[in-house]
Amino acid sequence: MRILRLLTVATGLALAATTAMSQTNVPGVPRNETIILENPEGTIKNPGWFNIWTINAGGQYTGLHQLALDTLWYIDPERGLDGVWENSLAAEKPIYNADFTEMTVKLRPGIYWSDGVEFTPDDLIYTVETQIKNPGMRWSALLALNVESVSSPEPWTVVFKLKKPNSRFHSLFTVRFNAIWIMPKHVFEKAADPQRFDFNPPVSLGAYKIHSFDPDGKWYIWQKRDDWQRTTLGRYGEPGPKYAAYIDPGPPDKRVIAQLNHNLDVVHDIAPEGMFTLTKQSPSLKTWFPNFPFAHPDPTLPSVIFNMQNPAFQNRDVRWALALLIDVKAVSMASYRGAATLSPIGIPPTGTHPDDYHIPLQEWLASYEIDTGKSKIKPYDPTIGNQIADMLRPTMKDQIPTDPAEIRKAFGYGWWKPNPQAATELLEKAGYTKRGNAWYTPDGKPFSIKLMVEGDSRPILTRAGTMIVQQWRQFGIDAKTEVAQGTTMLDRRIAGDFETLISWSVETYGGHPDLSFFLDSWHSQFVAAPGKTQSPRNWQRWSNPELDKIIEEVRRISFDDKRTVELGRDYAKLIVREMPIIPLMAYNVFTAMDETYWTGYPTAENPYANPVPNWGNSRSMMVKLKPKQP
Amino acid sequence: MRAYLTYLSKRLVQFAVVVFVGINITYLVTHMTPINPVEQSISAATTYGATSPEAIEMMRQSLRQLYGLEGTPWEQYVSFWKRVLVGDFGPSLSAFPTPVSQLILRALPWTVGLLLVSTLLTWILGNLLGGLAGYYRNSRILKAFGVLSMGIHPIPYYVVAFVLLIIFGFLWPVLPISGGATMASDRSNTLAFALDVVVHSILPVLSLMAVGIGGWFMGMRALVSNIVTEDYVVYAELAGVNRGKILRSYVMRNALGPQVTGLALQLGAIFNGAIITEQVFGYPGVGSLLISAVHAGDYSLVLGITTVSIVAVSATVLLIDLLYPLIDPRVEAR
Repeated sequence: MRILRLLTVATGLALAATTAMSQTNVPGVPRNETIILENPEGTIKNPGWFNIWTINAGGQYTGLHQLALDTLWYIDPERGLDGVWENSLAAEKPIYNADFTEMTVKLRPGIYWSDGVEFTPDDLIYTVETQIKNPGMRWSALLALNVESVSSPEPWTVVFKLKKPNSRFHSLFTVRFNAIWIMPKHVFEKAADPQRFDFNPPVSLGAYKIHSFDPDGKWYIWQKRDDWQRTTLGRYGEPGPKYAAYIDPGPPDKRVIAQLNHNLDVVHDIAPEGMFTLTKQSPSLKTWFPNFPFAHPDPTLPSVIFNMQNPAFQNRDVRWALALLIDVKAVSMASYRGAATLSPIGIPPTGTHPDDYHIPLQEWLASYEIDTGKSKIKPYDPTIGNQIADMLRPTMKDQIPTDPAEIRKAFGYGWWKPNPQAATELLEKAGYTKRGNAWYTPDGKPFSIKLMVEGDSRPILTRAGTMIVQQWRQFGIDAKTEVAQGTTMLDRRIAGDFETLISWSVETYGGHPDLSFFLDSWHSQFVAAPGKTQSPRNWQRWSNPELDKIIEEVRRISFDDKRTVELGRDYAKLIVREMPIIPLMAYNVFTAMDETYWTGYPTAENPYANPVPNWGNSRSMMVKLKPKQP
Repeated sequence: MRAYLTYLSKRLVQFAVVVFVGINITYLVTHMTPINPVEQSISAATTYGATSPEAIEMMRQSLRQLYGLEGTPWEQYVSFWKRVLVGDFGPSLSAFPTPVSQLILRALPWTVGLLLVSTLLTWILGNLLGGLAGYYRNSRILKAFGVLSMGIHPIPYYVVAFVLLIIFGFLWPVLPISGGATMASDRSNTLAFALDVVVHSILPVLSLMAVGIGGWFMGMRALVSNIVTEDYVVYAELAGVNRGKILRSYVMRNALGPQVTGLALQLGAIFNGAIITEQVFGYPGVGSLLISAVHAGDYSLVLGITTVSIVAVSATVLLIDLLYPLIDPRVEAR
């Protein structure tokens, strides 16, 4: 018994002695000079691999593509440091010839790699030619398909001759999330095989260089370069943090604990419940919206995606009927606990899109009419956001905005009114019949729908899908969810092995109205035959001549042509009419930022960058962050 | 001796068959799943970046060639066995071109360290306290421990782990809640690094022990409860032999046989990794590696880990079978 008592005392002493060790304490890296950010990739399997040009090899969001790499241009999903468009290694915007078969790039002189070698046009040319010569590198195929030749006819100028007209060729070198990063020729040309070269230690073109990394892949620390002025970020001022650590903090609950303990400054994304816990318990918390819904609306658009090659969903009236059976308020509560930013159109309500699309289309949406065969209805309800705000106010009290403009920003600009009567009429118009409580297809079979969800790997959308299925079932449709986790979902999505799916096929720049980033791949020329693999991103396998016409016109005009907005609006109207996907909401990312050590994070009030720390654009944060405790 | 040699050769053949069948089943299962590593890589490469459908098709062709996935299924199967026989599992498909063996070798020491310590501690404490509880049946402390350990034993592991996390990571934040060592710790300072690793392993070890100790405790207590009623124990007590000596020499030694077998089997299973423990505590071991390989559709890595595990468990069973006839006269070599 004496032994047991001794054990108890010893354990207590040992625990007390380790208190200091449990805090983040990096030798030689003072905590108040370090920003600690979450890397959502988790633990990196081969941590010493920095060659990002090899497909799926090492970590990317370890700070590598945020802090160490650079390319010609950036588009910020929000407002940007100095506007949405940023000339980074390029000194000015891309210059195209009249038929878009040639792109000229003027490069910025005076930029240096971290080993003191100057960045030159040769690096850009080497990047392009190396990848074309080595099929299987990350951007090999895209460059091989597009580039006839690349040369530097005069100093600091690079000319791309293209194999075919391409008015969006520059987008390959424009960071939305990432882009073709420039390779250091003087390093890679010494490697025997650029595809099997680990690029360790990485030579940086960004304002930070590698300080150290975990041989077990859990953390990476980057150190501000002494010559940060000689980088493209340098013109915005000196980066605040001397060190930036990208870590794997573990599962969601651990992220919350780590931030409450001030050991994790920026959490990439947590569940709404985790965010609500932080808002209650962390006095130093900073979020995108100061109040509910807190989250940053990502420029992606979760939707109910119909497999348009399935005969059951080929009639527009059926798709609209299913949309009118959704009570989006319940879906918002089930998925995001109300913290969803809704969208009735096929464009996410994020960045500059509300100004370009959502607000200008309000009048058209309000007057939009559907003929059910028995009546004409106006399905749009612009007050849904207010209704959600009213529902939440009793529990969330002053966390809920009262200003109508703020409510629209937070909860969206409206959605469709649930209308079971109109849904009944539309289904009957399409030849469906109701017998007893169950609906039957025109050929007499029970009307059944399987909605594929991702399960635990994407719980918010799984909850949304489950709620939608429940609403369809209440109406008499034999609807079920089917869970396809992670890789299975990806495989089934590309194979078209689903009836309906909750996911997104719309990804935009956010900060720029051009929709070509996702829209071009929706052209019918890329729609795979049933059973064949569908290339990104038209998971709905929808082909439509009117859409093709829009896409073809987008291809013919310049990126900044004002007509892109008009064409974008035409696309949005077409989606409303045809409903090949039922757009639901922005993918709201609950990024939590702790102000114990740093202040100046991007927010909805000062939206100079996307706050999500794995986006390439998040480098902008570094020059805006200031120490909280000098 | 001849009988033993016959037994040995039979068991060796049995071992080889078990390993061969086990690896083949794993090969079949991984290759029959709908997960396609090429598509996974493409998906990872294009999820966030601009791309075009034509480029995707080109990428698909290049990756099949690069990953060595061309050829008929039979050619791929033969090539797999050729490589396995020389201990080469090829490059990882989700961390290409890093060899699978390199990834396993990096993760294995963490898992072996964690599970070896927790398994041994759990076994020693469970058996010691179980033995004491079986012998000193009136001890209140041991009775209370029995109630506690039997109460915790059926609780799902992750619940216990989470409770420990909340207590020692948040309410009383004295222990690290994630990883195998402190960020940027100096690994050249061996002693300090070892201490750091031990501190990081306290919560995972505690959680494994909290759930595992009850099983050994109950098993040992039951064994000892039977042995204390045996004539030789009763006679020793009547003869006034020191109770400590009776416990050590007459009771515990005789009860340990089945427990040692159980321990050996658990030690063999160490190579499986502790998937949930490593996930919950973000521990950089084989369990975490396996989960990440499964999520990425990296069947080279999955095959590498499961092959190591199959060989380790089968070898342990073989070793026990070979040793038993030599150390326990009641077991015949047949």
